[in-house]
Amino acid sequence: MTGFFSPPPLKGILSLLLVMLLLPAFPSFGATADLEQSVQPIQIPNPASDLWREVRQRDAAMTGSTQALGVDGGVLINPTGEKWRQFRMQQLLPYGGYALGAVVLILLLFYTLRGRVPIKAGMSDKKLFRYSVYERMIHWFMALIFLFLAFSGLILLFGRSLLLPLMGPALFSLLASASKEGHNLFGPLFALALVLIFFRFVRRNIYQKGDLTWLLRGGGVIGKKHVPSNFFNMGEKSLFWLLVFVGGAIAASGFFLLFPVFGQGRVVMELSHVVHGIGALLMLSVIIGHIYIGTIGMEGAIEGMKSGYCDLNWAREHHDWWAEKCEQRGEVLDRDQPISARGADALGTPSGQMSEEAGK
Amino acid sequence: MIGELIDGPLWYIASGTFLLGVVWRLFSILRVGVAQDFAPPKGNGPAGAVRTVFSRFLPRHPVVTRGRLQLIAGYMFHLGLFALLFFARPHVDFIAERITGTEWAVLPHWGFIIASEIAFAGLIMLWLHRLLHPVTRLLSSADDYIGTVLVFLVMLTGCLALAQSFEPLRLLHLFLAELLLIYFPFSNLMHAFTFIISRGYTGATMARKGVNA
Repeated sequence: MTGFFSPPPLKGILSLLLVMLLLPAFPSFGATADLEQSVQPIQIPNPASDLWREVRQRDAAMTGSTQALGVDGGVLINPTGEKWRQFRMQQLLPYGGYALGAVVLILLLFYTLRGRVPIKAGMSDKKLFRYSVYERMIHWFMALIFLFLAFSGLILLFGRSLLLPLMGPALFSLLASASKEGHNLFGPLFALALVLIFFRFVRRNIYQKGDLTWLLRGGGVIGKKHVPSNFFNMGEKSLFWLLVFVGGAIAASGFFLLFPVFGQGRVVMELSHVVHGIGALLMLSVIIGHIYIGTIGMEGAIEGMKSGYCDLNWAREHHDWWAEKCEQRGEVLDRDQPISARGADALGTPSGQMSEEAGK
Repeated sequence: MIGELIDGPLWYIASGTFLLGVVWRLFSILRVGVAQDFAPPKGNGPAGAVRTVFSRFLPRHPVVTRGRLQLIAGYMFHLGLFALLFFARPHVDFIAERITGTEWAVLPHWGFIIASEIAFAGLIMLWLHRLLHPVTRLLSSADDYIGTVLVFLVMLTGCLALAQSFEPLRLLHLFLAELLLIYFPFSNLMHAFTFIISRGYTGATMARKGVNA
């Protein structure tokens, strides 16, 4: 039996002495970490890392086999998804926001420096027929749809960064859901408006002689010389073609995103989103300029789209070749003259078209 | 609190106002009656009335040529709205739960979406035509604009609530629909019912005179 205070066993004492003797032969405890670093770990291949490398696929487009039906069903992880996410968060959002802000700032600066472009000769008591009811209808139809899509799209794009901190998650999620549903529903109407606009206005938007001069002089902004123009000037024609091509790309990519039932995979959806986002921001930047010119930027510019008639002096100063043809044809009307059947006729022949034809 | 009001008492007030208002308006029109025509009839009045009610759905040539836009937009809006109102799943569920107690065939989701697109396009076109055409602008009153705006807002809020995930959006849609129901009997929106009386009267009168109306 061992008592409470029994002598240490002889074996233990001998072991302790041995440790004390041999201890100086080993490096100190502080050097243990260095020792661990200098010792190479044994390379044991991890079968899981190879598996996940294959799963992640790196940049290769590899797919496995699966019983799950559907496009990209054999892809566990889509590596381009991360690229798309980073592009959206690190490039599209900040640079898109800066671009829109820059456009607004430039216009504010331009307005401050130059002010409203007046009709130099003042408003006349004569007017010219410019747009039929149908043309004004499809213009405003497009405008309403575009504005709705722009606001709902901006909420979807920038809302999380800008509105969520202000509104809180409950209200913002409601607004985002409403925006998404509205955006999806009104999207196809934009495509309809685009088709209507294209067929109605395409003939008058084909580039012709004199358009380049207008462009080189910046539409009259560069220099003080008067820049002549046709029914539509180079800027308006370019806006039309931008609307057709960029708007067409926005509509097409929107259809890809809205109806993911035609075999398009994730990569196509991501590319569609990129095209949709960049195209929409570009279009919005240009349309902000268009709205500026039509409202506060230029005296008399919006009259044609409001009443269908424009002031004669405005036409002479901004679309003088067209105004000249109208005057030669005797199409000048008194301001108080009642609206003609052409103006009232919903599908009336546009004056510009007639004048262009007459000029040939 | 507001939700309970919209879902409960206000719904009953709105539907009651609509029902009583429509009956009252129709009764007051019918009560005026028609002056007795002593001339011997040259045709069958009731048959002419029925014929005209249906034949007017087909536009005459001048309307097709000169009013093509109103014609197309008008049909788009009315047919789209009809399909939405009576064949969209959420509406059928609502009507079955609150009024009829029984359901009927509904549009598939894609059909519902296409019907909304068509209705929206038609309504916006008609609205713009009213604003931009010099004649319709002169003929239009505040009543026409209020009716159009209300219908548009009801449709818009319905479309915004499509996800059916947010109660406030559904309540907003229902609230605007209730406002529309209250406004309906006292406005030009009554043409949804009175067009039958109007066409029938014209058809019967003309048939009696032997005129092809």
